[in-house]
Amino acid sequence: MAHPEFFDPVETASREDLDRLQEGAIVAIAAHAYARAPLIRETWDAAGVRPSDIRSVGDFVAKVPIIDKDDVRSYRDRHDDPSGGMSASVPGETVSIGTTSGTTGDPTPVPNWYRSGSEEAYFRDHWHIGLRPGDYFSWMMFTFRGGHRRRYYSEHGVSEICFSIGPSEIPRFAEASKRWRPTSGAIFSNPMLLMLEAYFEKSGDDPVDVFKSYKGAIFGGEPLGNRLATLTRSWGLELFETTSLGDVAGATMCRMHDGFHAYEDLAFIETVDPVTREPLADGEVGELVVTTLNDRLTPLVRYGSGDLVQIKRGPCGCGRNHARYDLLGRATDQIIIEGRSILPREIMGLVEQHSETRAGLFQIIRTDREMDALKLRIGYDRARLEVSHEVLRDRLHGMIAEAVGVRLHVELVDEQDLLKLGPPHKIPRVTRQ
Amino acid sequence: MTSAIRRPDFIGSYNVRGTVSFYGATAAEIDRSAFTLTRVLRTFGFAAGSNIMTISMVPEIIQYGGFERAVQMLGLYGLNADDSPFDAGRVESISRQFDPVAICGVAASTLEGLRMFGHDAEKVFAGRTVWARPDAYAQVCSMPNVDTRRVVSIGPALALECAHGCLHYDSRDWTMAEYDGVLHLSSRYDRTEPLAELDTGIAGSISDRPCTCGVRDGVVVPA
Ligand SMILES: [Zn+2]
Ligand SMILES: [Zn+2]
Repeated sequence: MAHPEFFDPVETASREDLDRLQEGAIVAIAAHAYARAPLIRETWDAAGVRPSDIRSVGDFVAKVPIIDKDDVRSYRDRHDDPSGGMSASVPGETVSIGTTSGTTGDPTPVPNWYRSGSEEAYFRDHWHIGLRPGDYFSWMMFTFRGGHRRRYYSEHGVSEICFSIGPSEIPRFAEASKRWRPTSGAIFSNPMLLMLEAYFEKSGDDPVDVFKSYKGAIFGGEPLGNRLATLTRSWGLELFETTSLGDVAGATMCRMHDGFHAYEDLAFIETVDPVTREPLADGEVGELVVTTLNDRLTPLVRYGSGDLVQIKRGPCGCGRNHARYDLLGRATDQIIIEGRSILPREIMGLVEQHSETRAGLFQIIRTDREMDALKLRIGYDRARLEVSHEVLRDRLHGMIAEAVGVRLHVELVDEQDLLKLGPPHKIPRVTRQ
Repeated sequence: MTSAIRRPDFIGSYNVRGTVSFYGATAAEIDRSAFTLTRVLRTFGFAAGSNIMTISMVPEIIQYGGFERAVQMLGLYGLNADDSPFDAGRVESISRQFDPVAICGVAASTLEGLRMFGHDAEKVFAGRTVWARPDAYAQVCSMPNVDTRRVVSIGPALALECAHGCLHYDSRDWTMAEYDGVLHLSSRYDRTEPLAELDTGIAGSISDRPCTCGVRDGVVVPA
């Protein structure tokens, strides 16, 4: 039989219907969060807000206090509660406990139900890419989010080819892609693409053949730089960038590649001034604040994500009316030098243009939000170094200084030293020293 | 052998003497393997609501997916970490924050990672039941105050040690045979991917005596 164009009819809901849906859902989740999540209750009590005060989206935005990661950590430390007061006690609903990546400090628990907002969102995205029942799907992931619990794809007749993340998986990935000819894949990342590039260079395997059945793949973890975007296009692979929607779901670009779609039946999104936390209008650059509309086990309500974004609420060329946003970077990564805002995303594109530093491994040394100069630590590949250390540093310095137009210090280090700093999928882009 | 069940829901893998092969299974095949594991888990008497950590990799859904489901079926909560030195920090953090009664799947890579990150494995595992993989078993055994047990991936099957010291496998789904001291695995039923006399590379023999724990599933004796 013919399959519908959109996986879920809510994807093509009108703006008016989405607004109406959110009016009801936000009142319900706010009451649930107050009743069940200790951090929400503590924060609202301190602000003098009661669930009965929230009867509409208008009430919600005007009255509900914003929480963020620091509030969760503080609650965790004060109450010896690993969930930071955000695990709702809903007897019988928790199936397992996932954890966040824990790039900085202890990972935070995320209680799992049989399905998560992220699974809902990503299945729609893969359907949009072209995945259908009867197809194969390449799944490359860690186990920490929820282990082997996932059944969404199998429930919909999609066969999942499972990989872990590491160099030894790359030849297996190429072999499986040629054997089962998957339609889409996730989650591709900078390190994975670099491993693939090295594999294709060394083995002579043909990337166009390996990817010939892929209608697309979802890419995340960090921004996709120009060099890898161009490279993957030459493989015939269309990448769909994704990011975390303030920890309540995933937000992925559609075929228009014009911002990350936030499914508004799964989450309510808004922007606020990152310093004053005053609400901003759509289109203004501000911190993304997210409220889950369906996660009863971790009911994040008005959760400041720390992401600097610009929301676009109009209809999209893909046929959906759900909001999109441009992601500029992390509010805590932003530095201001002589009034100019600089974020890691911009530096990435500059560093990866050089052969010796094509892996784009660098760190910004950030001791303050406002600084006198940009201090960069850049990792190079010893095997690709054909000039002296000084020549490379001067070349990088000259090119980056010209592009960003502020005072600049560049320190070169062996990229292996930077790789030791983080889990294999990403290193901290901003550091205090 | 061909199968009437053509499509796997999951394609994971198994490892024989370092060679990794793809292996497909349906969700139902994975989920039904949980029943044997619940019987083995019950011999420990863990209280409902306790936490159990699984250390595995995504392609090990074939072996560990059933274990995780067994944990859920008994009202226990599962937590996960990767079987990789890089994720050993998570093993330590989960152990400290969630005080799991048991950790399943500890391998040499986790021990190496704990050392790398400066954590004391003895402290991380103290007071817990730890199912160690063959490459970590001797080392975990030498740790005081750890209830060390075996967990062995025998091809796509997972064998788990009970509280009475026997290594059980799902003898309804799998037939185990020993040739020249090596375990060979065959499927008893039609599966997505039937197996006949798979040389698993695991040295051991088969016990013909029922285990004193009362679990009727078959028992293998590692060499
Ligand atoms: Zn769109
Ligand atoms: Zn027994």
